[in-house]
This record gives sequence, structure tokens and C-alpha cells, in this order.
Amino acid sequence: MPKIVIDSREIDAEPGENIVDAAARAGIEIPTLCYLKGYDPSTSCQVCLVKDARNGRLVPACGTRVVEGMRFESETPDVHDARRVALELLLSEHVGDCRAPCDFACPCHMDIPLMLEQIHGQHLRDAIVTVKRDIALPAALGRVCPKPCEKGCRRNDADGPVAVCDLKRYVADADLASGDPYAAPCLPDSGKRIAVVGGGPSGLSAVYYLRRAGHACALFEQRPELGGRLRTEERAEDLPRDLLDAEIAQITRLGVDLHLNTAITDQPQLDSLASEFDAVVLACGVLASHGVERFGLKASRKGIDVDRETYATNRPGVFAIGNALRGKGLVVRSCADGKEVAHIVGRFAAGRKLEPASDFSSRMGKLLPGELPSLMERASPSERRVPSHGTDYDHESAIAQSIRCMECACPSHGKCKLERYSAIYGADPNRFTKERPPYELIGRNSSVVFEPGKCIKCELCIQIARRGGEPIGLSFVGRGFDVVVSVPFGRGLDEALTNVAAECVEACPTAALRFANTLRGAPDLVTLEVPGAACGANGSVPPACAVTPAGRST
Amino acid sequence: MPDLDLTPVDRIVSEIGLHPDAVIPILQAIQEEYRFLPAEALEKVCELTEITPASIAGVSTFYTHFRHRPVGRHMVSVCQGTACHVKGAGLVEDAFKHHLKLGAGVDTDASGEFTVQQVACLGCCTLGPVVQIDEGTFGYVSPQGVPRVLREFDQAERASGQAIHRPMANGNPNGVTEVRVGLGSCCLAQGSAKVHDALRETLDEIGAKGLVKQVGCTGICHRTPLVELVMGDGTTHVYSKVDPPTAREIILRHFRPRGLLRPVREAVSRWLDRFQSDEAGDVIARHATDMRETSVASFLGPQKHLAMELCDVIDPLDFEEYRRHDGFTALNKCLTGLDPEQIIEQVRVSGLRGRGGAGFPTHIKWSAVRAALGDGAPDTVKYVICNGDEGDPGAFMDRMLLESVPFRIIEGMAIAARAVGAHEAVFYIRHEYPLAVKRIRDAIRQCEERRILGKSVMGTGYALRMEVKEGAGAFICGEETALIHSIEGGRGTPRLRPPYPAESGLWEKPTLINNVETFAVIPWILRNGGSAFAEMGTATSKGTKVFALAGKIVRGGLIEVPMGVSIRRIVEDVGGGVAPGRRFKAVQIGGPSGGCVPAELADTPIDYESLAKVGAIMGSGGLVVLDDADCMVDIARYFLRFTQDQSCGKCTYCRVGTKRMLDILDRLCAGKGRKGDLEALEQLSRMVGAGSLCGLGKTAPNPVLSTLKYFRAEYEEHLKGRCPAGKCVDLIDYRINDKCIGCTICAQHCPVHAIPMTAYQRHWIDLDICTRCDTCKQVCPEDAVHVTSGPA
Repeated sequence: MPKIVIDSREIDAEPGENIVDAAARAGIEIPTLCYLKGYDPSTSCQVCLVKDARNGRLVPACGTRVVEGMRFESETPDVHDARRVALELLLSEHVGDCRAPCDFACPCHMDIPLMLEQIHGQHLRDAIVTVKRDIALPAALGRVCPKPCEKGCRRNDADGPVAVCDLKRYVADADLASGDPYAAPCLPDSGKRIAVVGGGPSGLSAVYYLRRAGHACALFEQRPELGGRLRTEERAEDLPRDLLDAEIAQITRLGVDLHLNTAITDQPQLDSLASEFDAVVLACGVLASHGVERFGLKASRKGIDVDRETYATNRPGVFAIGNALRGKGLVVRSCADGKEVAHIVGRFAAGRKLEPASDFSSRMGKLLPGELPSLMERASPSERRVPSHGTDYDHESAIAQSIRCMECACPSHGKCKLERYSAIYGADPNRFTKERPPYELIGRNSSVVFEPGKCIKCELCIQIARRGGEPIGLSFVGRGFDVVVSVPFGRGLDEALTNVAAECVEACPTAALRFANTLRGAPDLVTLEVPGAACGANGSVPPACAVTPAGRST
Repeated sequence: MPDLDLTPVDRIVSEIGLHPDAVIPILQAIQEEYRFLPAEALEKVCELTEITPASIAGVSTFYTHFRHRPVGRHMVSVCQGTACHVKGAGLVEDAFKHHLKLGAGVDTDASGEFTVQQVACLGCCTLGPVVQIDEGTFGYVSPQGVPRVLREFDQAERASGQAIHRPMANGNPNGVTEVRVGLGSCCLAQGSAKVHDALRETLDEIGAKGLVKQVGCTGICHRTPLVELVMGDGTTHVYSKVDPPTAREIILRHFRPRGLLRPVREAVSRWLDRFQSDEAGDVIARHATDMRETSVASFLGPQKHLAMELCDVIDPLDFEEYRRHDGFTALNKCLTGLDPEQIIEQVRVSGLRGRGGAGFPTHIKWSAVRAALGDGAPDTVKYVICNGDEGDPGAFMDRMLLESVPFRIIEGMAIAARAVGAHEAVFYIRHEYPLAVKRIRDAIRQCEERRILGKSVMGTGYALRMEVKEGAGAFICGEETALIHSIEGGRGTPRLRPPYPAESGLWEKPTLINNVETFAVIPWILRNGGSAFAEMGTATSKGTKVFALAGKIVRGGLIEVPMGVSIRRIVEDVGGGVAPGRRFKAVQIGGPSGGCVPAELADTPIDYESLAKVGAIMGSGGLVVLDDADCMVDIARYFLRFTQDQSCGKCTYCRVGTKRMLDILDRLCAGKGRKGDLEALEQLSRMVGAGSLCGLGKTAPNPVLSTLKYFRAEYEEHLKGRCPAGKCVDLIDYRINDKCIGCTICAQHCPVHAIPMTAYQRHWIDLDICTRCDTCKQVCPEDAVHVTSGPA
């Protein structure tokens, strides 16, 4: 058996196998988009590049067969740079949004299209799971939020946005009224203890996501009740208190060491929290500058001064969120702060580099003329309707409104290999500016559809169709930058793929080729590890950097 | 649309074959028949053959030669070669489009008469800009000359450059004067076919005894058409730039009418008239070129012709003449006197390295193929391929060799086949070289007839079969693995090596692939011995190298020089330097994979290592001289546009990376560069070089990197919106200065009427209308038009 070395690990390879497979058997993941075991490596995506340590040349691992004595580098800054540039080049011609514009407009980055799909499918339990992955207080927000998500909705430019916020409230209310509200699962105890100061929207959110990540939480609130400004600033007719209490209870049921009527206002108190806990999160609401000074922290114009990306104050281990740093921010922004700080604090407690969860997404940007009508074709033409104040959707109208969604998010979001590796390698989708080709969907009336703008020209579908003996099949048409996958003689996709459609769809590394009625379903809550020994996006070498595919904390 | 008659498809298929690898020849035949590829015809092919729809769709759209839309009755092909580019091919193309009133995105004129297309290098680099209309080639075309070209073509379409080979009755009877006329593509482009006809007709007319003989390329392309007379006593007379009337004069001067009894009174009287008039003498004198004349002597002086030794001497297709010039003696020696190891040993001793560009030692390749599957299996199938897919814009030595000495290439290949143990050999020649294809086919046929090829080569029992495969317009097919895919009937995409073709090549059999020029020197090496070859050149680069010398130079042409000669020697001595008043700025060596070597480094010797050290490569031997009117950013963009266009589209780095590099260069040339663009370009160039799969992508950044290295200031000027050379049309303005005498010539010639007709007054140019076509500057007799660039 030939022995090869990858990053100073010796591997026993099978004769004739390629580097990707040999590495995989040894537990080293070399990223690849175009390679599928059992098919000829097309060596096209170049994401699997490794460096031949003997001559310094970069070679595609999928197309290189093992030979005794080979030595490769895989997890080094050079190799990661090469992989990242390959991904960035692919992204530079990618026409599509991993995540929808509404998702981006929402400070909490909720996966709105998925929720809408779940409402449509009458899977309200799945829908609340989706909602609560990013929003800890959806019933409350559904009543107080000024709905930035709906401003982001592309349909806003046509006949009005999808009623995202009202539908979210519908989901949350249904959950609370179900008699068995959703209790989010928590990861096993991390052994870390975090103090959160302030039980308003940001503090509650922080607690919720810290608990879900397995950290023990102590929550300090100066008032006798939790809820902060939701209780002090919102009118009860807008936000019924029983509902607020019920929603807060869904947070505290995850197990929180509650300290009500306990004000934390000065440095000695902060010192003792800091010594007792692994980290402290200040979510104590609006603070005047002298309030900040009493904590012994650096102040900004609006409150506590923090690093914008990590919420870190000038005191290591102390973080601040919500109005404590913003002065006057939206409630939804505070909720987002809570979620994001939970991720950062988790990294801090684990002794890892402070950086936000990857929020990678390819983005289509502004639509070109004519694209909106084309995108609307896949949505219901029904009118926007919102329930009048104090009432709610009934079942049917909720569904009718949910299917107004144009499904701007990618159906492969969460499972796409291009997205996954772009997140891992920190690819910047805008590094190479370009003029975007128009959005195109081929095969609207067939069972399989093709989005050329998402194709990375990996050749897998062509190979599968050829091997499957498809009489028409698929082929590359044209060459160079303009090459596209196409059905010969202008035939339809259903004619091209009569018996291997499922195999082609399964093999497609992106969402270029898929079934027309693809439902996304809930993506797994996976934590991605950089393959191998890990190396940071900028060449530094952090320990295995866990990122979620689209910025979701787990 | 009326139903298409598909019966020719049946005929084509039955003639060519049913196997999947017949797809390219079938497509070529269909296009020949219909002038494009009708979809119905392609579907019919799939019904009749084993060719799949996916294969025919993939292949027919990969090669640019294939057209899927009907075209006009005549094809106007504007050469995009480097030399043509620097001499303004872009402006010529625009002029054709303007003249034929083609709107944006339209390639065929309203009457369906002409279709204008770009074509990769036609290999007539010294005559740039070159335009081909159907089979006829026009050299030195200027924008304002476009109407004349079309008119000339129209007049009985007599510009037909169709080379008609007229076999001679018998060999050269002693004592008869030989009239040699070059019939290579360059000569043809300058009308040498007409000259050839005029020479013959005049001889027939006066009944003189003389032998008009077509020879291959003389290499002195800047003086074509060239006529050489070899008198019975061996003295020679050379006439350059000959046209048909001059050809008559030449004959009339050197030949006497044979016997006054023949009814040639008219001819004789004309002969007497012309010969005795001073006017005729002047004409002759103007065209007479003394070989001792300084310019020709300098041109030929530093040269050493090995590969080209017979090019301007023999009739390319005269088998007997080739034999008389030691033809096939080397092959004979290899079949009877030397065993394969000894042949390879001679090649090793010679130090020959592959002339295709990379310079890989030839004997190592040969040994590898010989050793492949050398487990004693005598019936192991192996192939030898001659790579004649010369696609570098600015290189045409392979075309010249194939056209001029086809027997020589066949002999070289046969020797290689013998050495490696192959019995099958394939020529892969690009379709843009129809004359080369025709001559090689003809030469193979003659060799078969004379038992040089076939079941028993030269009666030794050694079998060797040769065939010709034509390319279809894809530069990437010069890459050996892509070339193999193309022969196998696929899209010409390269694959990762190893395995190398020596191990697994054509049809997965061991395959030797060498370039035309490499094969051309093999017979010389075997005849004269490897050490004779190794005596020339440098320590690591032996022998000679053929270059296509073109661009901003006084004497362009095909040259063959010993390795180690300096760039300066080539530019100044051989080429005669740049035009008076201009400054030698750089040479571009190695085409799209090569780099620009600045004039300051002109003492760099021509050898593989020295060129690599300065950021260029030997490449296939294109050598384009640039002067101070050439913009280096434009040159970098020109080459990158070429490689980007020719990328097969397989790997991400090349497919998308070269496009993103081009985006930046386009921005720079349009004056829209941004801060950080140069750094981004440099970085991306390095990544594309490191990450691409094959040689095309790996070397594509070279022209960019070398110009960034030596001419960075020029790039920085473009960032500021200035083109110092005055070349980038978006950054320049044309202005008329006070030298203007108001002659109105510019106003008459301006194709867009941007210059008001103001006789006897200083003219001015309306810059909003002006398209920067350069016509006014070219026609101005007073040098009153000048170019300005940058924020005024």
C-alpha cells in the first residue's frame, strides 16, 4: 500500500485512489465541489487544490492519484488562499441569494422563506423551530416590531411585501396556545457559567441562546419582573402581559439562575461577577455616560463602547448589548444582539478567537429590469392582507399569505457545498466585482429545473446522464467563460433526463439542477469544522473554527 | 423555411464513418456543404451514426470554426494576430463593419453578401493587417483601404488566393532557367498566384524554354511576392514585390523568344517594345533585389537554416526533387543502419528540445514512449502525433514548414515512429491552414505510392500509416491532452497530467507528440549527426530556432537563427530595427504565454533559460517588435483577451480568473481603473498562474505580469486616465494642429464625417462624433493630425 503524507500525517492509501479519497479515509476532509466518488474527476472546480510539497505546485487532489512517497500540504495558509480564491471566482459569476433579502433585512436574520414554506405545509411546529432559531421573543416582536423584514421583501416593489411579521406572530401565538409550546433543546453542559445583567429583550435573548449552547446562566434583573422595556414602554393593549409572561417563560424554562430585584450598577459588583463567572454580558438598558463610568468601562456617545463585531467592552470578559450600547435601538435589534453575543461569549469562554458567526451569503443584489415579474411567477398572485389590530390570521388566510413568498432564498441553502465551503474558507462573494448576468430559470413546466446562474460547470450531471445512457442527455455548449450546461437540440429537461434525474439532482453541488417542487425542510443544525487541523480565513491558525452555514448560532 | 435537403448528410456519413470519433470530420463536411450547421442535419447525423446528441452539441459549439447560423455569401475574416493587432486590425474590422453598415451584434450585411468575423492568426504576420475574403488573402489593409479591398474582391473575385499546384511535367532538364516563385500563404496573400500565372503565360506566349516552379516560403516575407531566377549557369536574379505586369517584364527581359518561326509575332514585338524602352528598365530595376544588397544580406546574415534549409529551394510537392536534396536518406539510415536506441542516442546527443514552446528534451519523450509497455509485447499499439495546431497569434513557422517542406516533416515523423516503435502517425493541423493540410495530404499520398509509407517502409518490412486530422478553431488544442481529445472526437479540453501521453495518450495508448519544427530538424540531425547540431547554440539550448519576426519592424519574415543570438541582433540586424523616427520599446516573445522584454534587456540571449529569467518564454517562436506607439496595457489586454477567449472553460481559475483579469484590464483601458486595481490584477495573475490546470491558464498571466513588471508606470498613467502611447481609444483625442493646409483630404476620408469640409482653412475634429479610427492621421499629407491623451 502506497504511503503518502498530508500535512505531516502519514496515510496508508489504496493503490490507484486519489488524494481526496485517501485523505477522507484518514479523516481529513479536502473540500471539493466537482468530484463525486465513482465518477471521473473533472478537475474543474479547483477547490480541492493541495500543494505538492516536493515542488511547491498546486494540484487538484481529486485528479491526482497516490504514488508512494507523495507529500502534500492541505491546511496551510497558501493552500487555503488558493481554495478561497477559487470559491471567490465561482461566486463572482453566481446568480443567486443563499439567503433571501428579507432574511438580510431582519436584524435577527430569521430564515423567513423557510418559515413561510412551513406555514404553507401546515407544519407549524417546524415553523416555530425555524423562528426560534433566531428570534427568542417572536410573539412580542410580532406586536412591537416596525418590520424591517418586510421592507426587504422584493415583492415590496410590486404589490406589497409578504406579511412576514404578522405570519411570524401567527406562528408564535399558535405555539403558545398549543398547550405544549416548543422547548428548544440545549446542548450538553459546557461547564461555562455566564452572568447576564438585565432581563429586557437583549438580556432575555442572550440567556436563551446561551442556554441552548449549553452554558449555565445567571440573570440579574433590578425589577421584580422580567421583560424590561417590553413591560415598561409597550402598552398592554398592544402587547398583552399574559402573552409576554408566557413567552418569557419559554426562556426561563430552559433553566436560568434568576436574581430578580438585583441591580448591578457599579464596578465592585462587576468585579465580583467577573471573578465568579466565565463572562459577563451587560444588557442593562440605556445608560448615561456616568452610568458607564460607574462600571469602570469606556463610554461612547450612546452608552458603553464596544467592538462592533464582537460586543466586547474594553474589559476582557465583559460584553455589552442592546440599549446599553445603542441608547435607543429597535427591540428586534436588541434581540439580535442577544443572539449574536451568545455566539461570541461561547467562543470567549472556550478560549477561541472572538469573531462573529459567518454570515456568508451570495447575493443577487438589485434586480435587473424584467427580473421581478419572472421571480413572481413562482409565487401566488393573491393580494397582501394583514389582520386588523388585535385580530389574527385564520388558518387559511395564513397559508394564502405565506404562498405569496417568491422564495428568493436558495432551495439548497444549508446543504449547498459552495455555500458551505465559502463560509468555512471565509470567501468574500464581492471580491471580484462583476456585471451580473440576468437571472434565468430553465424548465418552468418540467419536473426538473435548471438555474444556469448557479451552475459551477462541474460536469457531474453530464457524466451521470452519459453513463446512464440517456438518449438525449446533457452537454456543455460553448466554451470558456461562456460555457453552459444545456440540453441538445433545444429539447426539454424532462426529455434529457428520463431515468437519472434524481441522481443528477443529488449530485449537483449547488442548486443549479433541482426538482421543481423542492421543499427545503429544516436544515440540520450542523456545526461545521474547518477540515483538518484548521486555519483561519486570514491565514492565522485558530483552533478548529466552528461556523454555521449561514450565521446561525446553534 | 423550406425543407432542407438532407441527402448530402447520408453521403457524408457514408464517406466518413459512423464511429463517435468521426464527429469533427462530419461536422466539417456538413459545414462545407451548407456553409453552416443546420440543426436538422445534426439530428440526422445522430440518427445515422453512433454519435450522440450530447456529443454533437458539445463538439459543434466548442470549436469556433463551426457556425450554427447561416452566413453571407462571402466570409470576411479579419486576422486578430498580434502583428495585425499592433498594426491596427481593430480599426480595419471597424471599417469593414462601418462600410457594410453592420449594427452592433450583427455580422452579416443586409444583402446577405458579406459576413465579417474575427479569425485567429492567419499566419501572414509580416503583412498585417491581413484580411481574408473567402480563400483570398489581402495584406497591408488599412481602414481607408477597405472599400478598395471589397471592390477588388468584387471584380470577378479574382483575388482568389487558391493555390493550385501544377505538377511539373518532368524534372529540371539541365541548363534550363528556373523561375522560382514563392507560393506560401504570405506570398499568396500578396498575389503571388497571379504572378505565377503571369510568368507562365508570358513564357508560353513567347515560347521560351523556362521552368516556372513554385517553391515554399522564402522567409523574406516583407518583400513578397518574390521571384527568383536561377539561370542555366547557376547565377541568380531575385525580384521582390513583383506584380503581374512586372512578372511579364522579368520574363521578357531574361528569355528570348524561341525561334522566330513560331507565331508569336505579337508577343515578340511587345517584348521588343518593352525591353527597349527605358520605362521597362525602370520597372525591372525597381524590383530587382540583389542578394548582396545590404538589407537582404543583413536579413539573412545571422541566420542559419536547418529546419528551413529546403524551403525556398524545392517545389514543396516534388517528391523526386526532395530526394535529390538528400530526402529520405536519414529515414533510410534509421531503417537500415541504426537501431531505435541509436536513433534516440543521436537525438540525445543533439540536445534538441521540443520546439512547441516548453522546451522539454526530445530524447526523454522519445525514450519514455519507446519504453512504455516495453514488456516485450511486439503488438503494442503506439501513436506518433505531429502537433500542427499552431495557434499563437504571431507565429507561423509551422504553417510555413508544412507548406514548404511536407516531405521533410513526414520523414521526421517516420524516424520518430521508428524510434518509438509506432506504426500509426497522425498530423493534427489547424483548419486555418488549408494549404498546409492539402500539401501534407498530397505528400502522404505520394509517399504511399512510392512505398515511403505503408506496409513496408522503403522495403524494410516496417509498417507505418499516416493520416491528417484537421482542427476546427481552438487554440487550446495545441495543448497535447486537449489535442488528443480533439482527435478522439471530443471537446478539446485538457486533462490533468500525469498520466502523460507517453504513458496514456491517444486512445489511451502510449503516444509521442512533437511539434512540426521539432520533426523538421530530425532528418537534419540524423543526417549530420547529433553532435553537429549540438555545436550550435548555447550550453542548454542547442541548434537553431525559427522565429516569426513581425510587428513594428523594417524587415519582417520568417527567420531561423542559432540559439544564443541576442534579441538585439534579431531586431536590429535581421529585422533592420523599427521605422525611422520611432523608438524600439520591447519585444513580445512567446505569444499569449510569453512576455514583453523591454528594449533595455535586448541583450538577453535567445535560449530557454535566459528568456524565462526575464519573464518571457521561447514559446513557439512568435517575436513581435513593439515601438513607442504601442501601449503596453493594451498589449497585455490583447493577449489576455486572446487566452480568455480561447480558454476551454474547464477549470475555475482559467475560466473565471482570466475573465476577471480582463475585466480589470478593460477598466484600465477605458480610463475607469480604480485604486487597488493594479495590486488586485497582480495578485489574481499569480493565483491564476498557480491554480490553473493546464499550460494555457498557467501561462496566461505572463503578458500581464511582464508588462506590470517592466512598464508599471504606464499602468499607473492609465489609472489616471492617460494612455501615454496614444493607443487606447477611450483615453485619446485626435486634434488637427496648425500644420494643416486645409487640403480636405482628412475630411474626405473620415468615415463618420467628424471633420467639416473647410477648404484652405485649418480643419477641426468634432470629438463627439470622432470614433478614433486613425484614418485622418494616416491620410494627412502634412502630419497635421496628432493624438492627445488625458485630462486636457
